[in-house]
Amino acid sequence: MVKVFIYPTTSLILSDLVKRFGHEPLGSALGIRERIQTAGFESPPLQITPEEPKKGLHWAAVEVPSGVRGRMAIMGPQIDAADAAIIINDADLAFGCMGCARTNELLIYLLRTKGMPVLNLIYPTTEEEGIAFVAAIRKFLGSLGGGAP
Amino acid sequence: MTAPVRIAQLSCGPEYSGIQKEINDAAAAVGAEIFYPEISLKEMQRDYGAFGLDIRSPDLKLAIARAKALVEGRIETDGVFIATCFRCAEGAIVRNELRRYIVEKSTLPVVSYSFTERTTAGTLLTRMEALTTIARRRALLAREVQEGLTLGVDSGSSTTKAVVMRDNRIIGKGWVPTTEVAKSAEEAIGNALSEAGVKRDEIQAAGATGYGRHLVGSRIKADLIQEELTVNSKGAVYLADHQKGPCTVIDIGGMDNKAITVYDGIPGTFTMGGICAGASGRFLEMTAKRLGVEITELGPLAMKGISRNVPMNSYCIVFGTQSLVNALSGGSAPEDVAAAACHSVAEQVFEQQLQEVEIKEPVIMVGGTSLIEGLVHAMGLLLQTKIVVPPNSQYIGAVGSALLASGFIREKR
Amino acid sequence: MKRYIPAYAGTVTVYIFIESTDLTPEDIAVRTYEIAPRAMVKETCFGLQVTGKPEEVDGIVAKIRAFDPAHIFVKDRGFPPGDPRRCRANLGGARPGFHGHEFELSLIGNVSRGLEEDLHPTGVAVPDATHGRRPPLPVERLKEIIEEEESAHG
Repeated sequence: MVKVFIYPTTSLILSDLVKRFGHEPLGSALGIRERIQTAGFESPPLQITPEEPKKGLHWAAVEVPSGVRGRMAIMGPQIDAADAAIIINDADLAFGCMGCARTNELLIYLLRTKGMPVLNLIYPTTEEEGIAFVAAIRKFLGSLGGGAP
Repeated sequence: MTAPVRIAQLSCGPEYSGIQKEINDAAAAVGAEIFYPEISLKEMQRDYGAFGLDIRSPDLKLAIARAKALVEGRIETDGVFIATCFRCAEGAIVRNELRRYIVEKSTLPVVSYSFTERTTAGTLLTRMEALTTIARRRALLAREVQEGLTLGVDSGSSTTKAVVMRDNRIIGKGWVPTTEVAKSAEEAIGNALSEAGVKRDEIQAAGATGYGRHLVGSRIKADLIQEELTVNSKGAVYLADHQKGPCTVIDIGGMDNKAITVYDGIPGTFTMGGICAGASGRFLEMTAKRLGVEITELGPLAMKGISRNVPMNSYCIVFGTQSLVNALSGGSAPEDVAAAACHSVAEQVFEQQLQEVEIKEPVIMVGGTSLIEGLVHAMGLLLQTKIVVPPNSQYIGAVGSALLASGFIREKR
Repeated sequence: MKRYIPAYAGTVTVYIFIESTDLTPEDIAVRTYEIAPRAMVKETCFGLQVTGKPEEVDGIVAKIRAFDPAHIFVKDRGFPPGDPRRCRANLGGARPGFHGHEFELSLIGNVSRGLEEDLHPTGVAVPDATHGRRPPLPVERLKEIIEEEESAHG
């Protein structure tokens, strides 16, 4: 089983397929869960405190908006932990953790330059594309080793 | 308990900057609650597309579609709070265009703000208070005539002002530098009362505004404790005798600046802030000190000078001071330096704040800095208009407070 | 600042989306209660949310998937179910993530078709999906179209 970073990080489809084929999807939910389940000071709704954009300085400079740095504080450690990534390149309608285009540009750049296997896809808009989409993911995950048969 | 004022939030980034709680707290502190307008994905796609501004960030697309739902009345709200990250160009474009769109197409009060992770509820409080006041207290703000015997206090960051008014006339004034907030207020009030020849216990109602309003207001048992955005708007249109129709009020203060568009005496949009004290009255005070003149002499001096002769940019007060020192040591004429300082402050306010409100004539300048004629002149040149400075403009907050406080006399009886 | 003490620490919550024509969310809920009497199960408009210890939830998910493998989808969730911080009733509108799910669910039928093919291959040709954006129209083809148009109207 390897850790696969999913983009969009909120993707239901990718989260499902990666897990279904025996690997561990890394995305927003895990980052948010970690914060929601950690004691500290109250900062609803996401338990992201003003300290998080400061942690985000590890991935983006101080002149980068706080919303980018705060999002990077959630996603950055998961990119660091990832062994592979699947990117859906036309993910224009994902919100919240994926709501900022500048963060998303930085995420994709970091995924591409980390030197790990990356699968690039687009959303399947027809059944034929759906077949290709699932097959490509199955093949990619299979090549990583250690997944489900 | 009255129902909370409902404020729709259109934003990108506050949850991830760790400041959503600060927004919620600021709203709760003034009896308001924040909500997210509910729209479906289909509505979002349709309305974002129809708006016509092509951007990349999905959360900003959502904000645009939500704004449309509010303007078209599909979702009810009392006010709108637009917030995007400081230093985000895409966010700034959307923030400005949405504010403009909502103001033009609806009567909803709007506040827009660009935040960082350091934004606190305290910073947002005055803006949130003004927003809820405009939404909730339109009746109070409709008052055009002062009645009875009332007291108004404006506890500002530089100076504390007090006025006593009777039957729509100012009968006593006090103006002292702010040192200890409560003590300075007592002194200003004492001066105003003695000039008016009335005793404290004769006062029928009192109002307080400015930075120290909560402390001073509780000390004097004020009937009205109100932020300076709405109070100054009322004071400005009252003193300028322009209670009907549109106007713009500019108040360059000791610590921050306000630019407010007003219609029929009620504030519409406003901006409040100033990146640095370089764009405030403080810088002019420093200039006067360096030139060895009283602040009251700076204005007339500036009128004799030519600002272009001295390069000065007070975007930052430290750099502004540096230009000041350089100019003086380089032998520039004091008149030109004074004029350059006035121009620089006016330019900062023009660039940083007046771009965020629609300038409607007449433009009324108020507050202590409106007495510096060089500053008013420089602002007039930038805005290409003749600026109105009403009589007693330095007492704007105190007069606005005394005027609005008279609305409480009947309640007491 | 107020202290924050998390509820449900050490648990995981997953969304279970049911896009089946044969099974309704209620059917799945009833079966889930049977197989997982100790887990916390919440029915929603799109399916279920299941909360429990990680191994427990993994086991439940595997069994639920087996009901209709190509039409049941599972995703991790950061919040426990019904959390007031994310609840639509408290926010006035849907939390932002909802619209993202709404979008993906509009395409999920195509993924189901892909999964059916994966489970029971019919031997259809599998097109290549490993590209980024859709490729632009080849310039030769564009030229042909222009020529066709010109000759049609010329």
